[in-house]
Amino acid sequence: MASDKVIQVSDGDFDARALKSDVPFLLDFWAPWCGPCKAIGPVIDELADEFAGKLKIGKMNVDDNPATPGKYGIRAIPTLILFKGGEVVDQVTGAVGKKQLAAMIEKAL
Amino acid sequence: MADTIIDVLIVGAGPAGLQAAVHAVRKKASVVVLGKVAHSSIYGAHVENYLCVDGVVDGADLLRTAVDQATRFGAEIIAEDVLHVDQADELFKVKIESGTELLCRTLIFATGTSRKKLKVKGEKELSGRGVSYCVDCDANFYRNAKVAVVGNESAAVDGALTLTGYASEVHLVCQALEVGEGLAAKLTESSVQVHAGRWPKEITGENAVQGLLLDDDTSLEVDGVFVELGAKGAMELATTIGVMLDLDTFSYIDTNKRQQTNIAGIYAAGDIAGPPWQMAKAVGEGCVAGWEAANYANKQKRQQKED
Repeated sequence: MASDKVIQVSDGDFDARALKSDVPFLLDFWAPWCGPCKAIGPVIDELADEFAGKLKIGKMNVDDNPATPGKYGIRAIPTLILFKGGEVVDQVTGAVGKKQLAAMIEKAL
Repeated sequence: MADTIIDVLIVGAGPAGLQAAVHAVRKKASVVVLGKVAHSSIYGAHVENYLCVDGVVDGADLLRTAVDQATRFGAEIIAEDVLHVDQADELFKVKIESGTELLCRTLIFATGTSRKKLKVKGEKELSGRGVSYCVDCDANFYRNAKVAVVGNESAAVDGALTLTGYASEVHLVCQALEVGEGLAAKLTESSVQVHAGRWPKEITGENAVQGLLLDDDTSLEVDGVFVELGAKGAMELATTIGVMLDLDTFSYIDTNKRQQTNIAGIYAAGDIAGPPWQMAKAVGEGCVAGWEAANYANKQKRQQKED
């Protein structure tokens, strides 16, 4: 089930939500036509629940929000970027497993 | 063909798919198997651990027997890959290489697994920065850009054709094309520049892809490289309609003991449903999947008659 802890992020509120977040912020760039993006959906939800309080997780639909993906040179989805203090600290592209994502988050916390 | 609804459509002509065909067709379901027998991983293998077959036998011989069996029982085998799968109310719509669309009540994914990575210099480093493994996901990022697609089979050719709708220049790098006539004809008519007999040596670029170096030391100036080896598999076909994969590796389709996926009417069997990568396991799962799918289709037909 979709977690209510996953924040929908747009080009308009990207700065406020992701860059100025008080905790590290993992942003999932996705699109509705992308199969692998759908596949990792449940993992994103689970991680949002498990790391609640320590990390925020958001999703950005690249179809509706072209500016931010352009700014970060995103050319493949799903891409997940981990921001900390407004900076990119890690990033991964493709459908990667929960263990790998959890390890990437732990490293940044 | 377009007007008939197939009861059980099986994607993949290896041990899992052919065993599923045998069991489904014997339950009086209409069965079509899509795929190329020679692309099954067992085709080039020597088998000596399959029960009741003593000694070492060629996988190709076993598959020839399996095809004869399935065909004799009444299954139809079409040697084409699948390019796209869609849901259409309670049915599924499957587009194959020739461009034909098939309608079916149930789908069994028995495609096996294939190597997805090219394993050349620059590939890992530039992944997500111009190297992509999914044309259907990422074509949109390459509007008016120059791109190259790498691969010999249907996924590469279909991918290159799709990209002609976005990119300004599309190259296809292939050793030797192995696609059906329909797809080959479309490629010939298209603006895709085919580099046959060639293969990549290195993907070049600093923080983003800038070029593709080929094995004859010529270089293509491109912004993107799409690696599309083999036929489209679970990731490309199944996830787009919402089929769930295993959450640890995202490399195989999640099924229960009845080989059902999370979507009613869709089943998976064989290597695509996870390890161990053994023919015995594939055949067992194929049996269950074929059986279950035929029951599902037959029940759906009975219900529609009553309505």
